[in-house]
Amino acid sequence: MGVGTDNVPPFIAAHLSHLLSHSRLSLKVDQMWSSDKYNFGFIDRFTLLIPYCLDFIKWDVIYDAESPTTPPDVIFGPEDEHFHPFHMTTSAQPDDNINSLFSDWNYKDPARLLALIQFLRDQYVLYQGKRIGEVDDDRLKFEVSTIVSREGLEMHMSSAADKSEEVKFAVPLLDMNINKMVSGCPWRQLQKIYLQVVYPVGRKYMSASSAPRLKLVSSSELKALYSIDDVKLPHWVDGMCLAEYLPNLEEHLGKQVLEAVSLIDVRRHFIEALSGSLGRPVEADPIFCRKATFLSASGVFTFLVHFLIPSQFPKQQPAIILQSSQHFNSQMAPMKSRPISDYPWSPRWELLLMAERTCEFLADEALNFKRQCSEGQVQL
Amino acid sequence: MDNPPPLQKIAISGATLSSLIHRFSTATSTSSIDGLLFGNLTYVTSLNLSDDSSETSQTLLATVTSFLTSSSFHDTSGKINTSSLRRLIPNSTSLLGWFSGRRRTPLRPSLREFSITSSLSSLFELSSTKPSPNSNSSSSSPNFNPCLFFLLASPISDQTSHIHTHDYRAYQFLTGTNSFNPVSIDIINIGPAFRDHYGSFIPNSPFPTLDCQLSYSPMIRDDDDERLSKMKQASKDQMELDACVEGLEVGRLSKLMGSEAKNYTQSLEDLYLKMLVKIENLTTLVEQSSARVLEQEFVMLLSTEGEGREAHLCMPINANQYDEKSQIVALETI
Repeated sequence: MGVGTDNVPPFIAAHLSHLLSHSRLSLKVDQMWSSDKYNFGFIDRFTLLIPYCLDFIKWDVIYDAESPTTPPDVIFGPEDEHFHPFHMTTSAQPDDNINSLFSDWNYKDPARLLALIQFLRDQYVLYQGKRIGEVDDDRLKFEVSTIVSREGLEMHMSSAADKSEEVKFAVPLLDMNINKMVSGCPWRQLQKIYLQVVYPVGRKYMSASSAPRLKLVSSSELKALYSIDDVKLPHWVDGMCLAEYLPNLEEHLGKQVLEAVSLIDVRRHFIEALSGSLGRPVEADPIFCRKATFLSASGVFTFLVHFLIPSQFPKQQPAIILQSSQHFNSQMAPMKSRPISDYPWSPRWELLLMAERTCEFLADEALNFKRQCSEGQVQL
Repeated sequence: MDNPPPLQKIAISGATLSSLIHRFSTATSTSSIDGLLFGNLTYVTSLNLSDDSSETSQTLLATVTSFLTSSSFHDTSGKINTSSLRRLIPNSTSLLGWFSGRRRTPLRPSLREFSITSSLSSLFELSSTKPSPNSNSSSSSPNFNPCLFFLLASPISDQTSHIHTHDYRAYQFLTGTNSFNPVSIDIINIGPAFRDHYGSFIPNSPFPTLDCQLSYSPMIRDDDDERLSKMKQASKDQMELDACVEGLEVGRLSKLMGSEAKNYTQSLEDLYLKMLVKIENLTTLVEQSSARVLEQEFVMLLSTEGEGREAHLCMPINANQYDEKSQIVALETI
């Protein structure tokens, strides 16, 4: 990210670190550079990546290291040339907001940049909504009217010269707080599942309206609990609208998320069952219970057993990796087995039986693994 | 107020553009500069010859003739300080718009630049007079607001090379739609393609500020007598000069600049005329005196005919010297 660079003047560094740590969105800095011709001077410009509508918008923030009292300037992306945040109101007079943001700019206050970016992004949401409102497409107008009341809905209109125009929606699904459902939740951002809907903008001469492109999107963090890649989206019937489609999808997803949360406890009980015969785990994931490592021995051969438990457990069996504590390869890394997931298993077994059968398999496999280690490599 | 007419293009002389780029690239204290653009507006008539009808179309052309680097006309939020803006605009020049140059940034108008251009464009009282299509008549409609925006930037990824690249782009701000309209730039150059520009070119450069005071640096505090006497001599000369010009001090020459220049040139011409008459009088005096000298010489030659050639050769030289001297004196008394 480059925020630790020595050449960033302290006031810019303070603004930036406050922005990145206090924003409700996960902002990123794409690039930082100096206004100096030879790039030797203070770093006073950077590109911000701001999440919007399941994508990023790139804004350049231009400070002047030589005059720290001057508020920064912002250059928006090339396709947003008509976005003028201070001239959004219909009246000729610009907003008073610009005065509060710029006129009494205090560079010693680290929260100023965050306030500016937040204000600009809020204006950007309004701007995109206004643009889509101006699109002359009856079907689109109808769809927007049914979902516009959803909190957190974001819309984006892409108008790249080489592509045909399309309107993108990011529809937040499920009115539930997943963060609160997981005890000891480690996520800083509120986890949400979005449905991305991409509508091609209808041309007057096109008679048949094509189905929108649909895709579920979530943050990668959510994968620890629930993977949306496994969700099969309901079929889009011709002549359908979003208002019909969304309730079914939400009902289906809601059930799955509840189930995924309940599966955390199942995994925990499985780890507990394993510890009956393998002893206390050396290391375990206490929140989502997706990983556990045990130390085990077969005769004098000691080895670690890693359990990688899928989110679909117990429908899917855990993958097991054995790691020797006595054998090393030429790079001095401990020898590991391939992930094993073809041992005897039935999802209908009781958890205790699963643990028992797994340990039986491990007793045999340990001898195999020991032989592989001894044959394959020099023992140290 | 109706919208300003759309500009066909902007013309800028190579010298003005290069001076602008030079100012931008050598600004050492700050990474960005901005200022005002001055110039004039002309109608260019282009003739479209075709078989069925030959019709002429008129387009508006803005010629940038000069610029002034100063950012005091706006504040950081993009508000225009009208009173300081007025101070910056010289008399008899029309404000076309403004320019902004910032190093290592994308070549797109920024948030602040939009605000400034928008505020500047809405200052209709600063509108320059646009020549009416029939340029002979004096009825010109004042409706070209300062809506020009000239953006200079250097690319971000230009680090190691020692070749400096400078990009520029010009826009006309349309107050109706609140948007920038890119305008093409012509760099006026020699060649048949630019003959039109030269035809309508009005040179417009600010008159340099004359230092009209006869003054000595106050820092030199030398009590040397020689210097003092020099100063005395100088002030004496000055007094004599002042007496000659009959109340027209040198300081008033500065009135040659600006709007009163027209009335002032007349009185100055009168003064010159009087001086010419004086010089004429002096020359006749000199002529007469030299004629008399020649006469006396002739008489002397006749009386001292035996004294040899030396005196004979000497006299005309003396006469010449006298002549020169009297001329110098004459000039000093003007």
